[in-house]
Amino acid sequence: MSKKNEKLGYTCAYTPLALIDAAGYTPYRILPMSECPDQAGQLLHDNLCPHVKRILDRAISKDLPDLNGVVLMNSCDAMRRLADAWERVRPADRIILLDLPATADDAAVAYFAGELARLTESLSEWSGGNITDSDIKTSIQRYNQLPALFAKLRERLRQGKLAGDSTRMQTLYNEAMMTPFEISARSLKQAAAEPVSKSPQSNGVPVFLFGNVLPDPEALTFFESCGARIIEDDLCTGSRLFTPMELGENQDLLLQISRSLLTRPPCARTFDPGQPLKMAEDILARARTSGARGVIGQTIKFCDPYLDRLPAVRKTLRQAGIPLLLLEGDCSLRSIEQQRTRIEAFIEMID
Amino acid sequence: MMYQYFKDMADGIEAKILQDPNLPNPRKKYALETARLGSRLYSGNNTVAWCGLAVPFDLLNVMGITSCFVEFVGAALAATGTADPFLEEAEQAGFVGDTCGYHRTVMGAARKNIMPEPDFLIATTCPCSGGIAIMENLADLFNKDLFVLNVPQEDSEQNVAYLADQIKAMVEFVTRHTGEPLDEGKLRQAVENTNRARKIMEEVYQLAQNVPSPTDGRLLTNFGLVMPLFCGTEAAVEIAQAYKDEFTARVNNGIPGVPDEKLRLLWIQNRIQFDNPLVELLEKEYRANIVSDELNDIFWDPIDPQDPYPGMARRAIAIPLNGSIQRRIGHLQKLARAYNLDGAINPCNWGCRQGTGARGLISDGLRY
Repeated sequence: MSKKNEKLGYTCAYTPLALIDAAGYTPYRILPMSECPDQAGQLLHDNLCPHVKRILDRAISKDLPDLNGVVLMNSCDAMRRLADAWERVRPADRIILLDLPATADDAAVAYFAGELARLTESLSEWSGGNITDSDIKTSIQRYNQLPALFAKLRERLRQGKLAGDSTRMQTLYNEAMMTPFEISARSLKQAAAEPVSKSPQSNGVPVFLFGNVLPDPEALTFFESCGARIIEDDLCTGSRLFTPMELGENQDLLLQISRSLLTRPPCARTFDPGQPLKMAEDILARARTSGARGVIGQTIKFCDPYLDRLPAVRKTLRQAGIPLLLLEGDCSLRSIEQQRTRIEAFIEMID
Repeated sequence: MMYQYFKDMADGIEAKILQDPNLPNPRKKYALETARLGSRLYSGNNTVAWCGLAVPFDLLNVMGITSCFVEFVGAALAATGTADPFLEEAEQAGFVGDTCGYHRTVMGAARKNIMPEPDFLIATTCPCSGGIAIMENLADLFNKDLFVLNVPQEDSEQNVAYLADQIKAMVEFVTRHTGEPLDEGKLRQAVENTNRARKIMEEVYQLAQNVPSPTDGRLLTNFGLVMPLFCGTEAAVEIAQAYKDEFTARVNNGIPGVPDEKLRLLWIQNRIQFDNPLVELLEKEYRANIVSDELNDIFWDPIDPQDPYPGMARRAIAIPLNGSIQRRIGHLQKLARAYNLDGAINPCNWGCRQGTGARGLISDGLRY
């Protein structure tokens, strides 16, 4: 099945990386990091998610490696429009858009498994070979190594003993999002094998960071320069992408992948109707477990799934007596740097 | 307060209709039913469900549920010029101004106890991510059960089956709350009513395509958006018939909606709900007539009364705001041809990812 190092683009943390790997491709996360000019506004309005628009900028500017295809998720309005706009600006690209239910009940899991079957068919067609259950199982086992390795490093980060701190962590996340499994696994194993060090920034104030897209490692360096020590994250460009998949015997593999993806720590767009706004409780629980003294919520502008749920997060953390700082940005370091005074004041307050 | 407002409105409209009951009075009949819905929502005597836009309201009507999409309240408050304090309330609670104005108004109204407390809520993933987030907030605020319909993007056998099964599960959910099972006989009758209203509405839209058009920029405002709320009832049939009679008479007698109609326009998505002079200005200054609205169209097939769930699922999937932009543009192009349009207006409400999200793509698509 190997397509050597051919890449397949993706943009969302709900993408089944193991399936792409099983087809012999390297999953390549198209991150909103680029110096290319702003052009997406020709097709997408100013008030649409800057994450999506930056990705479209990269597509328009051809600021991408060779991609054998692109897998997009219908995770929100903006991602839906990205699929439409991508087809307009790069009509020759192979592209598939998967429907992603907003809930994780049994019917939704079964439906999403059907969408994964559709993806498997497309991947087979694109790669010119059948993807067998054995291929998928092998890839799941491979990709299950990453969360375990990340968990070790996160624990070290939480204790302030990861050399390079959260900046290093983000660099490792980015590598795992964009390079072949073997390379990222090797990097992670090397990092995990390093002697436990006293982190140079360990005197920073421990902070839990949540939100959606913040892939630039320099952004983490910036937080640390403001006196924060990011000890744990809940970001779709961070810990949320690498969670283990349970592999049961004699069970449908796609159903298992579907359940694993839909029940992983959710982006705001996925929720349990039986426990409305549970996201706020989840953030509180993770902040408490991490030992953080405060929480920073970093979301991108115009992201309705987050914007409409942040009031609940704010209320829950306030009631629990946990300080919260909410920041909005456009995925660029520039937009975060403008908030230095606020961040420093927040860190001073919780120190 | 709101109950009295809607009741007075309904009484007033009814009295006006009775002044000359032989006239078709389409707009009055449409407004009357809307006011009646408002008074039912606020009466405190009915089982109320707040819903998403793509819910099969005919099914809920059969089950005796007074149901409505939440944006209706936002629109009603905007139309009466009373939305500001609710927007402020929502913003003070942390709902930022970059999000949808309808939804912020609704959240503010709910927080200020202006929204009737529902018995339960039914959300739909179509048309927008913001809408479903607000339904989750309302479920939490009212501490009521929430059911979610995941509306797939495309009409395929698998997608229709998935949504049809969810609609069946929705019926069970409603039954659990009301204790009343669905009456299959009444459902068949309701679906037949829906199909009758559908057919007459199709004829109404065909009449509106005449040059000059018998409609003006006001008569069919919000029509395609609000009529689904009445689907399954005789009222929907009666309203549609009144429009057909009015338009037929106008066409037969050569009475245009806008005198000396010069430009024919399409309104994309839904209208501006607050009081504004735009339609009047277009008519007076430019003799421009909004002859078509994106949602004023029949985009679904008749539903099989013997097996209605797949048809209801297809209808939800077919909503023009759902699915790919290519499909949406195709629909707009169809309207452009059918209505002989000269142009289109796309109101880019700042907080609406649906309205603005595809602005450039739609603009491009309509040029060709």
